[in-house]
Amino acid sequence: MSGGPVPRRYGLLGSCLALSLLVLVPLSLWIGRDGGGPHFGFGTSDILREIRVPRTLVGLFVGGTLGLCGAALQGLLRNPLAEPGILGVSSGAAFGAVVVYYFGFAASGSLLLGTGAVLGSLGALGLLYALAGRGIDLVRLILAGVGINALAAALTSLALNFAPSPYAALEILIWMFGTLENRSLAQLWLLLPLAVPGWMLVIAAARGLDALTLGEDVAGSLGFRVRRTLWLVIAGAALAVGATVAVCGVVAFVGLVVPHLLRPLVGYRPSCLLLPSFLAGAALTLAADIAIRLMPPGPELKLGVVTALIGAPFFLHMVLSSRQRTAE
Amino acid sequence: MRSSRGRSPLRAAVTGAYLSLSVVAGLSLLAGVPARAQLPTVASINLCTDQLVLSVADPGQILSLSWLASDPEESMLAAEAARYPQNYGSAEEVIQVGADIILAGTLTSPFTRELLRRLGATVVEIEPETSLDDTYRNLLVVGAAIDRAAESGRLVARMRERADAIQARAPTPLRTAVIIRPGGFTIGRETLANDVLGLAGLQNDVAELDRWGSLSVEALLSARPEFVVITRYRMNDASLANAFFAHPALRRFSAQQKTLAIEARQVACGTPASLAAAEALLEQMAAL
Repeated sequence: MSGGPVPRRYGLLGSCLALSLLVLVPLSLWIGRDGGGPHFGFGTSDILREIRVPRTLVGLFVGGTLGLCGAALQGLLRNPLAEPGILGVSSGAAFGAVVVYYFGFAASGSLLLGTGAVLGSLGALGLLYALAGRGIDLVRLILAGVGINALAAALTSLALNFAPSPYAALEILIWMFGTLENRSLAQLWLLLPLAVPGWMLVIAAARGLDALTLGEDVAGSLGFRVRRTLWLVIAGAALAVGATVAVCGVVAFVGLVVPHLLRPLVGYRPSCLLLPSFLAGAALTLAADIAIRLMPPGPELKLGVVTALIGAPFFLHMVLSSRQRTAE
Repeated sequence: MRSSRGRSPLRAAVTGAYLSLSVVAGLSLLAGVPARAQLPTVASINLCTDQLVLSVADPGQILSLSWLASDPEESMLAAEAARYPQNYGSAEEVIQVGADIILAGTLTSPFTRELLRRLGATVVEIEPETSLDDTYRNLLVVGAAIDRAAESGRLVARMRERADAIQARAPTPLRTAVIIRPGGFTIGRETLANDVLGLAGLQNDVAELDRWGSLSVEALLSARPEFVVITRYRMNDASLANAFFAHPALRRFSAQQKTLAIEARQVACGTPASLAAAEALLEQMAAL
């Protein structure tokens, strides 16, 4: 399957995104933050190696994962409002991490926090499979995602209710907002072994996603195994998004905004959207994290809060413009 | 030839290092006492460990405290804390302070603690205080960690004496009471606040909670405890939590009961001020 010519602007878009990363990465290594607000310079080799480099790399890969998975899920569900959160993967992972935190295992090392998050996302995936069954009914899949989200949110609130002290509850809440603050190489080594196979699975579904734009029935009659595409994307997204929640909490809206902005530029082809979304997700997340470090003195803003502040008005704009389109 | 020429500067450097090391060792042997008196420096990234270290450290030891420590609504030692540089708990700024020891709570972000350890810092983790005994233990742990064991031992001995004196003045048998926090929360049995009330002769188990949670108005009305203890927190800030105190049912209830008040920050972290809360309760009970 050749899938037709690659859109004209694809190469240009890729170069622009790569160029923006070439600017953002050194900036992220160069900008630090302490009690007096931002300060500039690469710092000592320890600070660069153990603090700035891990923070930059985790930001890149987390943002990239969210962009990639958002693009794949929007292609799969043929719904521009889809994002990793919609299938309950993020909230399942968040619940898994909160349980680990609540039972006090987190004190013995943040790797356990990560394991809890990945188990949570896999649990959400298992539940999704049980609810949506072997079918390929996408409406049922979205409904199952809504149900899993509600369940995970309720269970997380339950865990908060039983938190041993107001301070523990506060720590849990803060952690769930999503942040790159104080992440180290240990978090990078937790993220990559889970996220990379996740990316592979999602990318393996690329051609199936193109076929799905014709509708499930046509794609099936063309000889595409639609169910295989479905589970490749879901398993890949669960693994990769679970890993991102494990290392930095829930970072909202990146997976929604990025593919939506890029779609017209790649000629509305889901397979051509995957790589640019990865790069743009990485760039957006890194830019947001740099902006956080540039804020005036005070406690750091949370990355998830900043991305939500960017993403929520964007989401509302999408809802409005879709209403106008129906009215026309 | 080449290799020996290459090696000799290295050898000279090694010999030089040995020499300077032995000179330093000899000097410190001669200096003896001043070297011993060099106390380890300390930075703290948690409100409760801030106050523990302020209570036992030599002022010269403290290099940095968390920003909450100098907030008078949060901290009992805000004025003292304001004399030191603040941190916001980011590993990058804390590591640059260069303290020998970093104090953190066991509930401080695990990512921060891990990153600080990766950077080679000595991180001492302190459990939150859930009783006066925890407070004594933590003061001794912090004292031992920063070479101020004698000072922390004396402070704890003074606190124990002060607690005994409070207990001697406290009413027997225990009088019933309930803690009401802004927002209708209450504090249960396994907490520092409960211990402080117990020391002042007040029994706080209306809510039948182990730790903390929402106050059941039904339980409150049926148990009718003799005293209502309010823990004040940011009372001048408009908030839904403080609006709770204006609730007519609660106002009617507390108008009938005897109301006592302590500061939330006195029992948020275990400090000598936690004993002051018990003394304040006794004085207010005597004045009623």
